[in-house]
Order: sequence, then C-alpha cells, then structure tokens
Amino acid sequence: MRTADPSAAAPHRRLTLRGVGRRYGIRGPWVLRGVDLDVPAGHLVRVRGANGTGKSTLLRLLAGIDAPGEGRVTGRPSRTAHVPERFPPALPFTVIGYLTHMGRVHGLARARARDAAGQWLERFGAAHYANTPLDRLSKGSSQKVAVAQALLAAPELLVLDEAWTGLDAAARDELDRAVAERTAAGGAVVFVDHDPSRLAGVPDAVYAIEGVRLRQVRDERHDGGGGVPPTRGHNGPRVVIEVSGPDGRAPDPGRLPHPHTVTRVDARTVRVTVPASHSDAALRALLDARPPWHVVGVRAASPADAVAVRSERP
Amino acid sequence: MTTALLAYQSALLLRSQRWLAPVVLYAAVLAVGVQGGQPVLDSLGYAAAGLLPVGAWLVRICVANEPSAARGCTAAATAPWRAHLATLVAGFLATALLGALATAVVASVSDGASNDHRVRVAVGPAAGAGLLAMLVCALVGAAVGAVTAWPVVRGTGLGVCGMLLCSLLALVVPGSPAGAAVTALITGSEQGVVPVPLLPLGAAVPTVAACWAGACALASRR
Repeated sequence: MRTADPSAAAPHRRLTLRGVGRRYGIRGPWVLRGVDLDVPAGHLVRVRGANGTGKSTLLRLLAGIDAPGEGRVTGRPSRTAHVPERFPPALPFTVIGYLTHMGRVHGLARARARDAAGQWLERFGAAHYANTPLDRLSKGSSQKVAVAQALLAAPELLVLDEAWTGLDAAARDELDRAVAERTAAGGAVVFVDHDPSRLAGVPDAVYAIEGVRLRQVRDERHDGGGGVPPTRGHNGPRVVIEVSGPDGRAPDPGRLPHPHTVTRVDARTVRVTVPASHSDAALRALLDARPPWHVVGVRAASPADAVAVRSERP
Repeated sequence: MTTALLAYQSALLLRSQRWLAPVVLYAAVLAVGVQGGQPVLDSLGYAAAGLLPVGAWLVRICVANEPSAARGCTAAATAPWRAHLATLVAGFLATALLGALATAVVASVSDGASNDHRVRVAVGPAAGAGLLAMLVCALVGAAVGAVTAWPVVRGTGLGVCGMLLCSLLALVVPGSPAGAAVTALITGSEQGVVPVPLLPLGAAVPTVAACWAGACALASRR
C-alpha cells in the first residue's frame, strides 16, 4: 500500500562523503578535510558556517562540480542540479532560450524543456521576462533564472548555494515550496542560506563547518525532538490540515513530507500540522494516498494549536 | 559529452560573436597570401598552416565563453569533464567548418598546376588533400587551445603567449603532425604530385585525444 508514496518508487540511495578533503592548488591550505556526510534520498540538509569557511566548496563537491583532493564521494544521482551563489547574466541568450538549452542539458526533450521552462518562470513570477536577453535582467530576475534551470528536470539532488538571496518574497516562498516538493518526491536537497530562519525546523539534518571540519549540529531553531513544534512562533508559518479516513487510521507518516505532526481529533479525524512551505506537498500526498484521505479543512495554524502534539517524524 | 551540451556550447559561441575576430583575421591572412591563379597545393598548404592558430584561438574562446557559475550549472547537470569536452568539441567543429570553407574557396580560385606550372595537378584530389591537411591543423590547433586555456593555464597573458608559441612550434618542429601535413602539400606542389597526408592525420588524433583528456581531467580539480 505504499504505491501512493512517490519516494517509495525512488531507489533508496544516498550521497555519501567519506574522508573528503579539498584544497585549491597543489600546495594550497586545505579548505575542507576529513568530511564525512550522508545525504539520503528524500532528505533536506542544511549547511551552516561563517563567510569564507568553505560552504560553497562543500556544495560544489556535493554537486560534483569539483572533485575532492582526497577521500571519496559516492552515490551521487545522475540528475543533479546546482544553483550558484551569484548567477552571471553575461550569457548571450534570452531567458527562455537559456532555460530550454539547460533543460536539454538536464536530459529533457526540446519541447518538454521549453514547456518546463515556461512553467517554472510562471511559478516564480518571471513569465513576462521569457524573451528578455539575460544581460538585461536585474539581479533578482537573473536569480529566478538560476533557480528555474535547476528545477526544470525534477533533480534527484538539488544543491542550493544562497539561492534565496535576491529573490522577492513571493519567489522565496515559491522556492520553499519547490524544496518541499523535491523532498516529498524522494529527492535530496542540500542548502546554504544566510537567513537562519530559512526553512527553520524543516531540515532532517544540520551541519556546521568549523575550521576545516564538518560537524552535525542541532538546529538551534528546532526543538531537536523532530516534528513541527507548534509552540514555537519563530519556526515560521504553519498550516493545519484536518483529514478523515474511512477507518480512522492515522496517515502513514512515511507518505507525508516530513516534518509534520499528527494529532487525533476524534475517532475519524486527524489533524496534520506542517510548515506552510510543505502544505501543498502534504495535501498532494494525502489526496494521492490509496484509499485517499478526505480533507475536512485547511487553515493557517493559530496559537490555539499549541497543544501537546505527538511527533510522527519518521 | 551529450548533443545537448554541444548544441548549447555551439549556440553560445555563435551568439557571443567572439568568433568574428579569429575568422576575420583568417580571412585577412588568406587574402594576403592566396592570389587567384597560384598553384593549388601551395595555396592550400599556406591556408592549412594559417588555420592552426585560428583553431587554437577558437577553442580558447569557447572555453572562456561560459562564466564559471554557468559552467557549474552545466557541470552539475552532466559532469565537469563532459561540460569541458563539449566546449573543446564546439571550438574544433567551428574550426573544421572554417577550414572546409577555406579549402573550397582556395581550390576554386587557384590554378591546378605545380609551382613551375609545368605539371598539371587535378584540383579535385588536391582539394581532398587540402581538406585532410586542414583537418590535421584543426585537430592540432584544438589540442594547443585545450592545453593553453583553463583549466590547464589560468592566467590570460600566460595562456595567450603559450597559445601563440605552441601554435608556432606545432608548425615548425620536425615530426609535428601539422608541420608534416603542411610540408606534404608544399613539396607536393613543387613536384606536381597530390599527397595523401593520412600519416599526419593518424598522429594528430592521439595528440588531440591526449591533450583533451588531460584538460578534461583537470576540469573538476581547479
């Protein structure tokens, strides 16, 4: 009965770094050394660190743009996409022309690439830029192109290097939702962002670069116990979905994009609380389940929802 | 390398218009050195020699054409070595196209005769020999361009100086495939015999393969 879960169809693979080190130049100082990291399919991983500590270097290693000087990187999915920190507008293409080329580079057929490019531009509110040359775009619009090229082909590994920087508020929220969609569909997402509240409480793991090492840390904006703590206002907006099932079962947590919390309301109804960025992905998972859940109500979470909840984080 | 990458890199080269400078320079070199009615093999040898530095320059343009952040996007989507190989192939194909055009023009305006105009030289086979020599020079030029540009050489000044020096050496050093192909045409023109420079072509292919493999292997290590 797990057929409705998109991640069930995806192979259970993980990107693995073992003893990875990287330096620039033959005798340059090590930027990173002895890095061990696992990024399983369907997980969201955050990397923190001060400026110039090697966050971008780590992301380039994960995306396969750079090879490690020592150690091994294994299990990188073939469909990998990277959003660079600063996207250059100095390319002699129109927006749609560049995105169609990139869609084909990502393995889509030409017509499919063009369709996907149009759809992502629309989602990020940039459809009217489609025929604008890249070198006439503002920084924000050119960042939308950078994000769109990465999302075109539904990557199995998405690497975001400050991808939210320069985007307007609506586009930032859309990128949050796109990240939720990717993880819900069984893709892995690794991101760096200067804003500590970015997707707060959502990552499955948070790592910090200290010196040249990588260390797993607790998300300081997170209760550490898993799930979405409804009592924490600074964890960002949340959405409450009330669903009822034929036999009053709780939804299979494996089917829902994590993190989420599930509370029983009555014999037939359960209340699922998810970050606002994940509400679309959660609704899709509930409606696609076999047998489907009946959605009774959807609303923004209020302080009244701050009751004791049972964590259902897998 | 995939066709999508090659299409992207070729479009990038075409639309950037940076190909204009080497192509105009090559046209000028041909206009100065090739006159109507001159012996066909001699003129083709001259045109093939001129194509080598132009080919190195075109490859250099292709490599430098993609800003590093955009290169990161294509490298993540495919692989760094594939993305780099596509830039090298795009530059080589542009050079080969230019060489084919030059062969057609030179063969059509030249005289089908040896240097002393005593021995007839069939223009068709001569153009075929010219195409082979152009191919050898385009290959060697692409090899020179690959090893004197990112990621092998990072500085622009050093890269351009290296490119010019290597292009010259590739034409004059004994045993060089490009030099051998050009010499075959020129001695053929003296004797009125159309050469078939297959041996230089056979030597040029492993040369370019080795240079490209080295450059592509470094693409993820700089």
